[in-house]
Amino acid sequence: MDALEQEAPKQHYTDKQKQQVFDGEFMPHINAMYNFGYRLTFDEDDANDLVQDTYLKAFRFIESFQQGTNAKAWLFRILKNSFINDYRKKKKEPAKVDYQEVETFYNSEDVDRQITPDLRVESLQDMMGDEISNALNSLDVDFRTVIILCDLEGFKYDEMAKILDIPIGTVRSRLHRARNLLKEKLSEYAKKMGYKNHTL
Amino acid sequence: MSHQSPPSAGNQPTCMEMLQAILDGAATPEQETQFKEHMEGCMPCYKEYSLEMVIKELIKTKCCGQCAPPELVDRIKSSISEKAS
Repeated sequence: MDALEQEAPKQHYTDKQKQQVFDGEFMPHINAMYNFGYRLTFDEDDANDLVQDTYLKAFRFIESFQQGTNAKAWLFRILKNSFINDYRKKKKEPAKVDYQEVETFYNSEDVDRQITPDLRVESLQDMMGDEISNALNSLDVDFRTVIILCDLEGFKYDEMAKILDIPIGTVRSRLHRARNLLKEKLSEYAKKMGYKNHTL
Repeated sequence: MSHQSPPSAGNQPTCMEMLQAILDGAATPEQETQFKEHMEGCMPCYKEYSLEMVIKELIKTKCCGQCAPPELVDRIKSSISEKAS
């Protein structure tokens, strides 16, 4: 939790103020937090534990939070750290993105290519929600996370950089790669659905 | 103008870079306008934009259904009340 404590000058809240901050600024994000926890772990019990742990940490370190600042980003950051430090270690999840590969990709000519010539708007519109959700879930956790933060939660580059503890350039390149991987996956689904003879 | 060439001279971003900025919510209103004007005459950009926007919209509508169980909310609230008292 060092990072949390270092973030802002320590605030001094009365017990009543702490409760007000908690109820008024933290609790309104509980559904987004749970959805994030669930999409990281794919397990309701694990998501419950992760969210509960996050909220208890948030309360414990509430004096590191400055009232009126971005509570949602602060909470997402705690949850992400809990996921990496506690959950992943517990589950011994080995998956980790090769960041060098990501950077190499972004710096290559490939950045401008259109990689999904056989994916059409029409085929996407015919998909049920499951395919979209499954495609997102199939991405490596680091790619999945940036899509969730950007497209579902509407975080900006600088907020995502803080939540993930990575430079803004890496956020941008990871998002770019994640979108391409998602399209590749959707393209596979579309082919299975019988759109393989169509071209964009 | 090719869809992959810079929309104007100088160090302007390419179309695909502008499209990414729009998708990421990082484009300025001017960049958005510039891209949309360009898209009117560029079918590859129009198709890529349409595809990406549909995917983004589908993620928004189909991947946010997990609400926190009421028991979790109650458990957190009672833990905090205990700590606060």
